Amino acid sequence: MEGVFDFAPAIAVFPLVAFVIALAFGKHLPKKGAIPGILATGGSLLLSALMLVAVSSGEVYHETLYEWAAGDATSATGVEGIAFTFGILIDPLAALMLVIVSLVAFLVHVFSLGYMNAEGETGLPRYYAGLGLFTFSMLAFVYADNLLMAFMFFELVGLCSFLLIGFWFRTKSAPSAAKKAFLVTRFGDYFFLIGVVAIAATFGTLQFAGDESFVAAAQTAIDDGGTLFGFDAQTWVTITGLLVLGGVLGKSAQFPLHTWLPDAMEGPTTVSALIHAATMVAAGVYLVARMFGYYALSPTTLAIIAFVGGFTALFAATMGVVKDDIKQVLAYSTISQYGYMMLGLGVGGYVAGVFHLMNHAFFKALLFLGAGSVIVLMHHEQDMWKMGGLKDKAPVTYYTFLAGALALAGIIPFSGFWSKDEILYDAFIVGLEEPVIMAAYAMGLAAVFFTGFYTFRMVFLTFHGEPRSEAAEDPHPVGWSIKAPLIVLGVLAVVAGAANLAPVYKLTGLELTFLESWLDGEYGAIEGLTYGAYGELLAYETGVVGTEQLTVMIAAGLSLLLAFSGAGVAWKLYNVPEPVVYRDRLGRVGDVIEANYYQDEYQVWLAEGVTLPLARAADRFDQTAIDGAVDGVSTASLFGSDRLKRIQTGIVTNYAALLVTGFIVLLLVLGYAGGWFL
Amino acid sequence: MAVVELPEWAALAPVLILAGTALALFVFDSINPRSTNRTVLAGTAAIGSLVALGVAVWFTVAGVGASGLEGFGAIELFDGQLVVDQMALYFMIIVAVVTALVSVASYDYMEGHTYQAEYYSLVMLAATGMATMAAANSLVTILIALELASLPSYALVAILKDNRGSIEAGLKYFLIGALSSAIFVYGISLVYGATGYLQLDAIATQLETGAADGEFAYGGLLGLGILMLIGGFAFKTASVPFHFWAPEAYEGAPAPIAAFLSSASKAAGFVIAFRVFTTAFPLDATSALIGVDWTLAFVILAIVTMTVGNFAAATQQNVKRMLAYSSIGHAGYALIGLAGLGAGSELVMGAAMMHLLVYGFMNTGAFLFVALAEHWGVGRTFEDYNGLGQRAPVACFALVIFMFSLAGIPPLGGFWSKYFLFTGAIEAGLLVVAAALIVNSALSLYYYSRLVKAVWFEEPPAARDSLGQPTGLYAAIVFAAVMTVVLLPGFGPVVETALDAAAAMIA
Repeated sequence: MEGVFDFAPAIAVFPLVAFVIALAFGKHLPKKGAIPGILATGGSLLLSALMLVAVSSGEVYHETLYEWAAGDATSATGVEGIAFTFGILIDPLAALMLVIVSLVAFLVHVFSLGYMNAEGETGLPRYYAGLGLFTFSMLAFVYADNLLMAFMFFELVGLCSFLLIGFWFRTKSAPSAAKKAFLVTRFGDYFFLIGVVAIAATFGTLQFAGDESFVAAAQTAIDDGGTLFGFDAQTWVTITGLLVLGGVLGKSAQFPLHTWLPDAMEGPTTVSALIHAATMVAAGVYLVARMFGYYALSPTTLAIIAFVGGFTALFAATMGVVKDDIKQVLAYSTISQYGYMMLGLGVGGYVAGVFHLMNHAFFKALLFLGAGSVIVLMHHEQDMWKMGGLKDKAPVTYYTFLAGALALAGIIPFSGFWSKDEILYDAFIVGLEEPVIMAAYAMGLAAVFFTGFYTFRMVFLTFHGEPRSEAAEDPHPVGWSIKAPLIVLGVLAVVAGAANLAPVYKLTGLELTFLESWLDGEYGAIEGLTYGAYGELLAYETGVVGTEQLTVMIAAGLSLLLAFSGAGVAWKLYNVPEPVVYRDRLGRVGDVIEANYYQDEYQVWLAEGVTLPLARAADRFDQTAIDGAVDGVSTASLFGSDRLKRIQTGIVTNYAALLVTGFIVLLLVLGYAGGWFL
Repeated sequence: MAVVELPEWAALAPVLILAGTALALFVFDSINPRSTNRTVLAGTAAIGSLVALGVAVWFTVAGVGASGLEGFGAIELFDGQLVVDQMALYFMIIVAVVTALVSVASYDYMEGHTYQAEYYSLVMLAATGMATMAAANSLVTILIALELASLPSYALVAILKDNRGSIEAGLKYFLIGALSSAIFVYGISLVYGATGYLQLDAIATQLETGAADGEFAYGGLLGLGILMLIGGFAFKTASVPFHFWAPEAYEGAPAPIAAFLSSASKAAGFVIAFRVFTTAFPLDATSALIGVDWTLAFVILAIVTMTVGNFAAATQQNVKRMLAYSSIGHAGYALIGLAGLGAGSELVMGAAMMHLLVYGFMNTGAFLFVALAEHWGVGRTFEDYNGLGQRAPVACFALVIFMFSLAGIPPLGGFWSKYFLFTGAIEAGLLVVAAALIVNSALSLYYYSRLVKAVWFEEPPAARDSLGQPTGLYAAIVFAAVMTVVLLPGFGPVVETALDAAAAMIA
């Protein structure tokens, strides 16, 4: 596989070329830019797969390609000089993520043929250009070898998200949702940027990997026991880690910055599938995994990550229960699932978190594309109460959607079960020793019930029972460009779990834990970036109930039981020919959940009640004090100018007099200073 | 190693070429007194100054007068009465460039004028004087060169014999010039009386011996003499309080002559100031003798000059007069080069030299635009310039470059030289001067951008006839604009040359 890494830049460049082509010539192309997009993402997928093979044969790639700025500032740890570079880092984690991203992007491009082109949308070149730019930025983010480059592409994917959410910019809601998504994530990114600057200033490097990385530098600083910027080294690592986490919370829609994601459903469903489910939202979690060594140094940060993750998982799952719009349910489900990943990473379950990231990318992309297919079937109706009975009329959509739903609900043996169970198991064993993690675990566990419920409520309302509208009785047919991606993802949703059958290993000793070996560098990895290396850094202690086998049984049994009961309640309530709305029976609790716990309200209040008056006060200060001073200066200058002008009388004798006077004044000043008159 | 071995006096070639051109024009005039063959006359003047420029550039590149191992060291002629070193060549380049621009531009401006040959020969004579000032190394040669530059200038300002303003300006210029020369000559006599020498190096030796012995009795006398010398330089550079001639002379003079005086003549004034104060009056010895640091005088002059120039320029209605005051303001900036010498850093003087070079292009260009406007006959005030951009976009674009460069907007040449002056002033510890530079630059942007606004954004007053495109003026303006811009990439060599020259003077 020698030399295959030379093609690594092309993985990101292909979609960039597609972006340029779609933008420049999209109008004149037969499918308005879809073909270049499909070819480019297909090429990226092929190359990413090659990278995966190369990594599995024991090779890794870590290369700085371009240094675009360098300075000679000395960092707080005494590193002289700092360079800002673009580079590529392909290790097991990055290779895996590259394949996930390019695969989903490829499938979404294909799906778009049926969802966007066949539906006669206008502005398609803009759409495909956006998808191309997004895929480029996301892939470049994935294999960025330093934090600053990651930040830059993190921002670019945010921009693409903004552009694509607002694709239907003539409606009232889409531009507003786009702005909200942009502003809310920007709020988190603001902390991220400060974090980047802080890390650069502290360690003089932003590299993720190698001896020169900030992770290694942080470890050395903590071992040396010095102080950084007046803080204990570990505290400072915690502070900077939390700052970076701000960007993660915004991008991965974690509490309290999750409010933008449900609104982001205003974009085309394909965009929701690609950006707001499988990839961009994963960028936050991926970043935590990418610099996991840094977070592993700080137990406080990890605990916060775990707690926020567990809380978000439960919080979002409860909101998903009462939604009527199929995409809204999926949006809250996405928030909830990313909460699980954060919980997994926060308890040190690096493999479990990445595993769930992978599975979720597949089954959630599947569910969104399935929802897209349903929307096409339903003539662009999204309200689940107007659906029903689609099971027999669209079998491909139904069975693939069902596979995704089973995975999401965590039903054995579908993929979601294995990864979610592993996360909960990791949280459980740590929680036995750490009460905070136990609380996070409890919330994650409770969320399993709600997940099972809302997932099957969605399935039953959409596909089962009697059709509840004319559209549902006579659905619009869907083509193969829609069905094919669904089938591919449906298969993956069923089998992807086989990548890491951890419970099987723990119970029977059969080594079926490929992903763990993969991430632990058994096939090849960069030193320090392996599961084993992270494990050594972690300060967590784990406990068991009885034996390990028993603990596995308890954890898996509990979550399965809850998943089944959630699904069962949904089955009981909604798998009937004429389901009815039960919302009113929830009473005041229902109102609160319906209003999303007033999260939007308090954020709007923060903006309007606090920020706006502050801004007004600042504006008033600017208008009066600052502008007043500036205007005063200019008035005084012009007045002075007017006076000064009059010295020039035009009479030459005056000039001579003034000249001599000036000379004498100068003479007096210098003479006095020099003592000439003494 | 030089390919050709030239005799030592050949180092003065740029000066000699300028003088020769002047004489050639006189000969032409004697043979054909009534000739108005502008092509031959302007062409001769332009070619003469361009050849002088080429020779000066060649000498600079070849390292004539450069110190260090490879160079030959400063070339002293006539027992050190004249000296050709890097600084001399540097300023000869400035003078020659401005002279060439003015000659080319005058081809159109002086159309229909009676005294063609006289005009060009006077320009060449004045240029000879200015170039000699760059090389003068004794108070006597300085005085002679200064008068050689001044006397033709008086005549040139008054050359529009039918124009009252021109005559009046010439007379005022002459009277103030006479007064200043008197002060200057008196200063020379006092310095001579105190030290017994006129040659600059000899004065320095005498002062250093005196400071070491402690037997020097004429401290106050010397101080007064130095101050009077400063008066003479201040006249030539149009610094406050010797600036009163400038607004009226520039306004009354033909616009190319205003450009000539405000750029070349000012630069020449600075070169003698630089040379006299770095060579003849070593800072430590002189301070010990006169009891005060002479840079103090330049600190005061710099602040007052830039403030008076810029503030008076701010509310002018007449464009030429605005430029005249702006030129006074820029003299204030260049004075920082002398004010900052106390810190012993060559950066600040090098910065002043760079500023004078960039200024040679941008200010000449600005005055030549005024010449163009006068050629069109559109009027003299800001209002009269309204909407010119629609009719003459190329020239007006060049004007934008000149104005923004004068104001010091990056990335134009004027920004960089001003930036170096600023950092130089900070390095020399002259925080007040640096602050004054910033405040005045900010103010200057106001009146420079007024002109830009007038030509581009205001509506023309009435239906205006199409404007001609005189070749010579356009060529000169465009060339000056291009130089103002490309001097930035070329700033590497320019910076080096200026800093080398400054370092050689201070060392």
